[in-house]
Amino acid sequence: MIKVESAETQLQKLFQLTSSQVQRVIDTATGGEQGKSKGVFCDLYFQAGTAQGLTFDQGVLKNTSSSTTCGAGVRVVVGDKTGYSHTGHVNITNLLQCAKVARAITDHAGASANVAVGLPEGVSGPHDLYGILNCPVDIALQEKIDLLRNIDKEVRLYDPRIQNVTVSVACESYTIIIVNSLDQIFVDLRPLVRISVSCLAEDGGRKETGSSGGGGRFEFSVLAEEDKWKEHAHIAAKMAIDLLSAAPAPAGVMDVVLGSGWPGVLIHEAVGHGLEGDFNRMGTSAFSSLMGEAVASPLVTVIDDGTMEDRRGSLNFDDEGTPTSRTVLIENGKLKGYLQDKKNAGLMKTALTGNGRRQDYRYAPIPRMTNTYMDGGQSTPEEIIASVKYGLYAANFGGGQVDITNGNFTFSAIGAYLIEDGKITKTVKGATLIGNGPKALHNVTMVGNDVSLDRGVGTCGKAGQGVPVGVGMPTIRINGVTVGGAK
Amino acid sequence: MAASKDSNLIAIAEFIIKEGRRLGATECDVKIASSDAVDTGVRLGEVETLEGAQSRGLHFEAYVGKKSASTSTSDFRRAALTDLIRTTIAMANASEEDPFSGLPEAQYLATEIPDLMLTDGAIAKIATEDKIQMALAAEAAARGYDNKITNSRGASFTDWSGNTVFANSHGFVGSYSSTHCSISAAVVASQDNEMQVGGWSSGALSFNKLESPEQVGITAAKRALRMLGARKVKSQMVPVVFDPLMAATLLAQFVGATAGSHVYRNSSFLAGKVDQVVANPAVKIIDDPLMMAALGSRPYDGEGLPSRRRIIVQNGVLQCYLLGSYSARKLNTIPNGGSTGNLHFEPGLLSAEEIIATVENGLYLTSVSGPGFNVVTGDYSRGASGLWIENGELAYPVEGITIAGNMLDMFNNIEQIGNDLIFRSSTVSPTLKIGAMMVAGE
Repeated sequence: MIKVESAETQLQKLFQLTSSQVQRVIDTATGGEQGKSKGVFCDLYFQAGTAQGLTFDQGVLKNTSSSTTCGAGVRVVVGDKTGYSHTGHVNITNLLQCAKVARAITDHAGASANVAVGLPEGVSGPHDLYGILNCPVDIALQEKIDLLRNIDKEVRLYDPRIQNVTVSVACESYTIIIVNSLDQIFVDLRPLVRISVSCLAEDGGRKETGSSGGGGRFEFSVLAEEDKWKEHAHIAAKMAIDLLSAAPAPAGVMDVVLGSGWPGVLIHEAVGHGLEGDFNRMGTSAFSSLMGEAVASPLVTVIDDGTMEDRRGSLNFDDEGTPTSRTVLIENGKLKGYLQDKKNAGLMKTALTGNGRRQDYRYAPIPRMTNTYMDGGQSTPEEIIASVKYGLYAANFGGGQVDITNGNFTFSAIGAYLIEDGKITKTVKGATLIGNGPKALHNVTMVGNDVSLDRGVGTCGKAGQGVPVGVGMPTIRINGVTVGGAK
Repeated sequence: MAASKDSNLIAIAEFIIKEGRRLGATECDVKIASSDAVDTGVRLGEVETLEGAQSRGLHFEAYVGKKSASTSTSDFRRAALTDLIRTTIAMANASEEDPFSGLPEAQYLATEIPDLMLTDGAIAKIATEDKIQMALAAEAAARGYDNKITNSRGASFTDWSGNTVFANSHGFVGSYSSTHCSISAAVVASQDNEMQVGGWSSGALSFNKLESPEQVGITAAKRALRMLGARKVKSQMVPVVFDPLMAATLLAQFVGATAGSHVYRNSSFLAGKVDQVVANPAVKIIDDPLMMAALGSRPYDGEGLPSRRRIIVQNGVLQCYLLGSYSARKLNTIPNGGSTGNLHFEPGLLSAEEIIATVENGLYLTSVSGPGFNVVTGDYSRGASGLWIENGELAYPVEGITIAGNMLDMFNNIEQIGNDLIFRSSTVSPTLKIGAMMVAGE
């Protein structure tokens, strides 16, 4: 394993800062003991590392890029108020300046509530979920180029109608150090790798695309395992080829079977966002007044779990230093929990869940999902498909979106199959599926025994910040979904 | 203030180009940006967030023959820059040749950098307390507008000022400054068990072009209130009137399909369509990054190619693709710039009300959600909400529906273009009516 050196050593090495200098910044931001006694909280978030990307397009290496980050953010929280400032040029002068800017919020302090402290339920400390031997960024470019070329070839081999292939690999590694006014200090080394494959198939003037991808917080060598990259190549190629003969998608209300894995984006949109602490603290979520109530069929249990090994959405601790946890959001249909950060858990007087996350040092943390999935049930996928008289089987999805306040969500199928009399009969084009968060999951009538997470490609956007997440689901049947086809 | 900062950044850029050439790059370019931003947020009558930061970053691209690599950093110390240049060149050497790579040929680069008046010095002089007061006023106006406005997502005043420099080893050095400010508010209207959020934002390059805080707040409140009681409608084929924001989103998707990278890959429904009819003959689409003091203006593009006004669609016929130097080489033609600024439909004669009055039964679209657009096929299917039109008038709110069609059919079926064009962002549109789209609901 790469040994993670102590936070103090890393602060010195990466940012040339001593512990006493860091303390000075915190004291300036909080106003010292006097400020702290008034409930002023401060944390410093240091981030150093590199993101690297290579893109192979139309048979040649088109892009080789690398981006170095070395920055810090200073946050001051008092009650429900936040002051924030950051610098991409870390030194004691700039940090003290950031502390002064962030501190200005304390002039506006109203009712006070302390930020939540302590550990999530059932968690004893930070996890060790993604130790690696080799930093993915440091692996020789040639190894990465070879992988891209191999995938490109494999996709083309699948069918002569494949015209264009674009393959990219992204590797990153960041050291994160968090220091706060509660005299806590945390350090983490976060690797993340991802491969993306897309292709275009053409037949008699008709064109369709297919894509696949995967990754997580693990070694580059895992991406390079032959069965793994070949699977991505085949999924992308098959999707494009299948769609060449797809009929237009139907429009209207019908019963829908969703495949396992990535279709869990439904859960992310329909339920996950609406259970983030900030919206519920403010009372602006469609789920705000529904705690303890039935918001789904009794077959439905939904979990957010940041503690899964190697997963894209996992973290040893969140971006406030709280260890991540496994949080049950919906249990047998009843609403059970929220996803919290320090500020909102403090204001709502609930336990921390380890969901305070940020895109990078330029942003203050907010409640975010990690890996969010619907738990498995009893039915086999075959039984579920066989149960549908006329409907849609959708296994490939793009992204989704939700209006937190009225609960309306959409997610986009990239191609689907028509089910007639319990059998898959033909391929149809993609369409948007739409529903309402607190209502749609009441219509889940069957839940499969094949729960799985996506392959590690998800990025969730909220308030202008993107963070890596996982989604998952077993095969499920939902009745009465509005499908937005063109016919 | 801008001048001294600019000259400092220019000196860094010139150092990097010189150092890049010295260390073995056959060609190179660098973009440097620095900015100051302040975000003042209020909620329920109190200050909630104060954020302020100075940011800077640079992006360096090196070519060694036909091999290339790029890097970015925020560390501007001389020694770190030299390290960065060495690393980039080493990466380029370790990469592979792309016969189409390289800077734009020197003859295509901008030779003049017009002053487009993209800054407003007044913004920097606004005191924090005044920004807070404007945000508070916007939220108060929204909350006070109707007693069905029961909650708030908050209001904010944000401002931004930045300097950017671009230089390359053909001798191009350009720089300019720009500013931006905005007021926004989002409030919740509720009735029975229903909640609807409505938001509005006014953004401008200069402070005196902003809508008043009261106007922003009242618009946000009206947008929330008009959605109360939203229901589904039956699935049916009907005319859809896109409000100016929705029409602008549609325009951006349509013109995005003319990007060179889509054309040389043949991965767009508009590839191969230059000189062909792609829209109703009444449609004219203009790209004009040289407008004075407009949000989408810039004196040159991201590669140093000159900004120029161009017609993208005339009389419904596609006139050109958007080609940066790489795409142009791939397509064996000359580049005209791969990005747009102040992209818009030429406005028509009717007001939004007059357009709505032409619809007997249809949708006035005010919000879309989800990705739902396939640029390869032009297939379009998105979640939608808005107001249902009955007998030429807005009748009741609708949600939980989708709209679908094919972009090429939709543009050929544009029946009316409104007169209500306002340059509120870098892609804008007047109200737009599409003759028929599939609405899926109950």
